[in-house]
Amino acid sequence: MIKVENVTKSFGKLEVLRGISTTVERGEVVAIIGPSGSGKSTFLRCLNLLEVPTGGTIVVDGVELTDPKTDITRIRQRIGMVFQHFHLFPHLTVMDNLIFAPTRVKGIAKAEARDKGMKLLERVGLADKADVYPSKLSGGQKQRVAIARCLMMDPDVVLFDEPTSALDPEMVKEVLAVIRDLAHSGLTMLIVTHEMKFAREAADTIYFLDGGVLLERSSPEAFFAKPQTERAARFLEQVL
Amino acid sequence: MDSLISRALVALACLCVLAGCLVVPGASTPSAAAAGKTITMGTSPDYPPYENIDAAAGGEIVGLDIDIALAIADKLGYELKIAPSDFDGLIAALQSERVDFVMSGMSVTEERKQSVDFSDIYYVASNMIVSLKDSGYDSLDDLAGKKVGVQLGSTQENVVSGIEKPDVLKLNKIPDLIQALKADRVDAVIVEDAVAAGYAGANEDLKIAAIPASDEGEGYAIAFPKGSELTEPFNKALQELKDDGTLQQMIDKWFGTESTAGTMGKGGGLHFERLEKYFGYILRGVYVTLLFTLVSAAFGFVWGAILSLFKLSKVAVLRGFSTVYTSIFRGTPLLLQLALIYYAVPQLTGYNIPPLLAAGLAFGLNSAAYLSETIRGGILAVDKGQREAALSLGIPYRTMMFSIIMPQAVKNILPALVNECVALVKESSLVSVIGVADLMRRATVVQANTFLAFEPLLVVGAIYYVLVLALTSVARLLERRMRRSD
Repeated sequence: MIKVENVTKSFGKLEVLRGISTTVERGEVVAIIGPSGSGKSTFLRCLNLLEVPTGGTIVVDGVELTDPKTDITRIRQRIGMVFQHFHLFPHLTVMDNLIFAPTRVKGIAKAEARDKGMKLLERVGLADKADVYPSKLSGGQKQRVAIARCLMMDPDVVLFDEPTSALDPEMVKEVLAVIRDLAHSGLTMLIVTHEMKFAREAADTIYFLDGGVLLERSSPEAFFAKPQTERAARFLEQVL
Repeated sequence: MDSLISRALVALACLCVLAGCLVVPGASTPSAAAAGKTITMGTSPDYPPYENIDAAAGGEIVGLDIDIALAIADKLGYELKIAPSDFDGLIAALQSERVDFVMSGMSVTEERKQSVDFSDIYYVASNMIVSLKDSGYDSLDDLAGKKVGVQLGSTQENVVSGIEKPDVLKLNKIPDLIQALKADRVDAVIVEDAVAAGYAGANEDLKIAAIPASDEGEGYAIAFPKGSELTEPFNKALQELKDDGTLQQMIDKWFGTESTAGTMGKGGGLHFERLEKYFGYILRGVYVTLLFTLVSAAFGFVWGAILSLFKLSKVAVLRGFSTVYTSIFRGTPLLLQLALIYYAVPQLTGYNIPPLLAAGLAFGLNSAAYLSETIRGGILAVDKGQREAALSLGIPYRTMMFSIIMPQAVKNILPALVNECVALVKESSLVSVIGVADLMRRATVVQANTFLAFEPLLVVGAIYYVLVLALTSVARLLERRMRRSD
């Protein structure tokens, strides 16, 4: 599904990613953890080219993203992303946020898109908010709308960039419940998160990044029971 | 990006066509030497009884010069079109062949002969000193060392040379001179006798004194572009009018009933009642001013938005272009840009750009330079997460810019946009210099017709103020609507 080979990324002199290689299978749920500044978010953002890698190749479904000839706009329609700060379009209602890309980019009829939008809003428990503006929603509600918006495009992969880090504690649960539900539905997902309990329960694979290197790649059971590196053990000690 | 630009250019073209379709009541569109047998005359219709706008009636331009021109055109088999403009723009209009000839109480001077050809003289006027009642200025000798006002570019500039050490104030318009006189900025004003009589008749605090006709006997003549083929036939026709007495009849007609304004009202004070029959004429200027503002604001906004995208573009050429563009249009006066576009376009391209289109273009181009910076700021102020969210949904750049980023940017900069519109409403008064009959122009016309210097300005000022108030409240409604998502 996703094949990453020796991806590097530098911002000026700062080397954020120092050669990451990995493969993600279809339907695999990956939790990416690690201390702050380890390059987790940068790695995730490289996967839909919001950050352009300095070196290496990324192939998604047989299409090489890092090839300059690739129509990245089309590829992005199949790679959804959910941000820490939601980034809903503030001038559009919840429903219009949902149907904007399908109608304007994919050319789906408005009525059809609205039907689908309603179903997704029901799925994230916000069917009654279709016609309100994002400013009227709580953080947790905003993030659930953002997830629904991303699902409207029927993505093959969804990237979650710290989806609960900007939320008040009591709202984390409702968002994690939605993501967990998605994880069970067979969607390929990569989730950068600080929620260790969630990572352990929902993920198929744990990536542990530190200093721009993918230090560990193992099952949650193995990782949380006995990390292979001393760096990961120290990290777990601090967060658990 | 290419189709974005081409689409924007189409929008621009539509705006230009719209501007071109604007019909200005009271002013005919100039088109020098147009196909068929029409002939275009340039004149500055603020000089009764030679030429002024019959504002109380239909807004036609009437006067002695017009009657003579009509008679000559009739004799030569032309249809006459009249293109009004400011007096000091007339020579430029001839040189750019915007008009075929000029009749505007223009006297023959050596200086003018350098740039244009003149017909024979059709009328010799003498000049008068206008001063305040108790001034005691009766001859040029009395004005030695005094401050004297004359119209810029007029023959009276030469008369002043007969005064010892004069301190000369030259203004564009005679009503302004009269106002300067009343405000004690000048001690006396020298104007032509018929005009002087008009003002003295309408203003009880003014007196007039004749200046004996001087040496060479300068007179008014018709001006043509250098080497024009019209000079000869015009002279012939003019001679016929002189010979059969028609010309004298016309002179009698206009100078016999010259006191158009009459003498009402006592002493000083304001005389708004004399403006009564002109209100309709002035109010029609609201339409012109608003239409003009709308067109130039829309054009300025669209073009400014494109320029702002250029400035944020990755392409160095586009960035460079818009930077240089902004710097030039912000770095030179708007009035100069307006004059350049109006006079240079016909000379360079042969396309006789109508005044309102020239003005819309100049103001739009100028306003775009300012707005491009404002819009750029507005775009940069939109959270970059908006851009990332749009990109990650696979929304193309153009759709993202127009439907996601721009609406938020515009909301951010709405107060600045309203400022720009308000400025445009008021700056639109500059178009009067190229003869567009906007509010300000109409005030000048009424000044000329009524011989009242001050009152028409007050009335028009009040109208501008009301327009701006109305615009501001519309903007407030709009802002409230845009803020409903907050």
